Amino acid sequence: MHESSINMAGSLRLRPAGQVMQLERLGSLHASRLSFVRTLVRQMARQRWQVSCTRFDLDAQGHGTAVYRLQTPYGRYHGVIFAQPLEDSARSDRVIAEAWDVTFGVVEGELNEDLLAQMAANVPLQEAGRQDPRVLVLSRANKSLRNFASFVDALAEGRQPDPAWLTKVGYLYRTTAVYGNGKFGIADYARLQDSPDFRRPFSVQMFAVYLLRHFSIEQVEHIARSRAPESAVAMHPTLRRYLGIGNSTGLGMAPFLINHPQLIQQWILSRESALAMALEQVPTEAERWRLIELTRRAMQHLAQTVTEDKPQQERNLETVASLPEVLTWLETVPLDTDLWQQLTAWAERTLQLETQELINTLLLELYPAVVEPFEDQMSADERVELTPDMPLVRLKQLIDTHYDWTLDHDFTTREGCYWFWYRSIEKEEPRLGVRHQEPGAEKEMPLAIAPRVQRAHDAICAFLSDHPRALVVEFLMEQPRYKEIVRRIQTMAETAYGEIRANLWHRDMKPMHLLRAKLSFFGASRFDPKSDRWVRMTLFQGAPLVEELNAEPVDLVDFDDWSFSLEPAAIDTHLPKAGETPE
Amino acid sequence: MKVSHNELQGLCRKVFEGMGFEEGDAADAADMVAWMQSYRLGGLEALNRGLDYLLSADTPLPPGVLYQDGDLAVLDGHGQSVLRSSSLAIELGFAKARARGLAVVKIRHCHNRQLIMGYLSRLAGRGMNVTAFWRNAHAPLTEQVVCFRSNSTVPEIRVYAVQEVPEENEPNDAITLVLANHIGLMPAMRSDYQYDLIAKHSESDLMACRKQTLAEGIDVNDAVWARLKQLSARILVEATEASRGGAGAGTTDND
Repeated sequence: MHESSINMAGSLRLRPAGQVMQLERLGSLHASRLSFVRTLVRQMARQRWQVSCTRFDLDAQGHGTAVYRLQTPYGRYHGVIFAQPLEDSARSDRVIAEAWDVTFGVVEGELNEDLLAQMAANVPLQEAGRQDPRVLVLSRANKSLRNFASFVDALAEGRQPDPAWLTKVGYLYRTTAVYGNGKFGIADYARLQDSPDFRRPFSVQMFAVYLLRHFSIEQVEHIARSRAPESAVAMHPTLRRYLGIGNSTGLGMAPFLINHPQLIQQWILSRESALAMALEQVPTEAERWRLIELTRRAMQHLAQTVTEDKPQQERNLETVASLPEVLTWLETVPLDTDLWQQLTAWAERTLQLETQELINTLLLELYPAVVEPFEDQMSADERVELTPDMPLVRLKQLIDTHYDWTLDHDFTTREGCYWFWYRSIEKEEPRLGVRHQEPGAEKEMPLAIAPRVQRAHDAICAFLSDHPRALVVEFLMEQPRYKEIVRRIQTMAETAYGEIRANLWHRDMKPMHLLRAKLSFFGASRFDPKSDRWVRMTLFQGAPLVEELNAEPVDLVDFDDWSFSLEPAAIDTHLPKAGETPE
Repeated sequence: MKVSHNELQGLCRKVFEGMGFEEGDAADAADMVAWMQSYRLGGLEALNRGLDYLLSADTPLPPGVLYQDGDLAVLDGHGQSVLRSSSLAIELGFAKARARGLAVVKIRHCHNRQLIMGYLSRLAGRGMNVTAFWRNAHAPLTEQVVCFRSNSTVPEIRVYAVQEVPEENEPNDAITLVLANHIGLMPAMRSDYQYDLIAKHSESDLMACRKQTLAEGIDVNDAVWARLKQLSARILVEATEASRGGAGAGTTDND
């Protein structure tokens, strides 16, 4: 029987933070069954969520308004999507864009005409509009023009689009921002904290993206049908499944990871605890073969992952090249009780980081009963408070013990303080500048934690030499500038995994690792870095469809088994007309 | 217009950072304003009243300790807004109360006193009973009492005018705080002195207010909001061609 009590986390053999929180390792994580898209799909199936279309007013070009209703056992929501014409010159994935192919929002409760009119006037403006507090998510997306055109052409001509298009770029639309938590007047996250439907972090944002995926299928079929009513066909369900939603993400995602250390602690602790529990399971022969099957699937998925980014391409190739060795290992070693521990120890010794973390991700797949309780451990009460009565010498000890990694860096060299992070006047877009070369360093965002801790440590040591019995508050009364970093240290010293152990100023620092770490928790696949600071990836590729969800699936294990999606084999072209559901 | 709590807090934080507040002070001050506004206690109005004063202030001095022993502390707020000067003075009281069970802290010469409530709320959330008291010397003589039970971040508030003004009525710009681990000090309006109750906010009224602002958004004055937006731009860096490259993607994505 599997041990599934999450209370065991205290006695588990967790990996040390010095290993887990290295930036490069975090930048090697893969989506797992604890990723938010996976969790959402399981929740939707378990609770029998139903999605229906209540308005589909699109013209022949697919422009207009669509409204979808979500009914859960606890509440009703509406997804409202506005599709509009867009000049090619205005199509940009950057946050500085001002118009998009589609804009959309998810509303809590009923949608009356007044609210719809308010949304129609404001949602397409995105950041420039004022949104209603009933709106829970605000987002926008741009077309993948090549995919969109080829899909419309194929469906209109009565044939199925080539699945290879979706292997290259796995979507028709990619989102460029998915806003929650009070942005531009929408509902605060506090509204959702007690929601039985969307209390988990980012779950309502992920639902909005899932809905857009459904719309993208219905819209492309509608355009094909409008163009050629006689010949158009619906998209084959296998192909629909293989269609995800893209996302284009830049540096804007990086500050979140630094500014929410308690949340990051929960995400990583949950994953690490689940992994430690999985490693302790005594494998059966069936589980061994399940892992072999999953490894083969992941290998094929990665072999099919297309990116022009050379470093990512090399890592993918290296992983694919090393997985046959993993398969041989799995097929030949005796079924010892500590097989999984042997496997990860061997992987750590011999394989690159991405392959190590892939194996960890696959091990999590084996034990749903062990892993899934951690779904509810991903939130945090994010209060960072001072402990003013702590002896200052104790604070110094906390730094020496928990933040020792900050004390070794030299922040005075050109390399050691090369980058600075700032917000641009252009829509407050976070950017990186070169210190001593580009303007704006005096307005730097304090994202680099390590130099701040080191400076505080120096100041504390100096103060202690004159006041060895001082309290923290006495030190801060003299040197108030350290208040923020001191309370962060006091708060985070009680946790293992909240701080990313890197010098974010260093010339060799790769922001891409920050982005990937967060995106892996979202559930992203097919990482396609476009530089070291922006990336495209895919969500929900392979995920069950709305119609499968509405059919109230009985086999939830099978419903949940959609990770590492593979290009479908040749698709039968004998299909019903567009608008009809193929069997 | 209506805004969200997160939006208000975020904007205020940028405004304070732009004014040169230290990072922690900017975050605390933003929390204090947003806290008050979300309970419809006029946080933004209070900020707006003190905004010119804050903007014209010289380099801030941390609150100076005039007297302290194990149980008491008297501090000089140097005439600054509580947004700048109060958090560490309050934390000093917290440390003393933790050590001795009860502490009294007086912060003299402080400005914008209403705004201190938001920080006191945090202390109460950390398990401290907190009572704050201050009075205005001008006629009519008014007093305000703000009381938090330990572990409740919502206060009871009373504002009242005292009819019998003492002869010795110097200008009073101080705040007195009483912090106690295990002693609750809630308002009790049963004095023999004559007074006129000007405002009464119960915990339950305030909680209902908060629930409503969470559901419907927080009302803010458009002009004040526009001014804050303008001030927040101080933290932003001018764009150049090089800086556009510093964010990543190209500016058209027609693939």
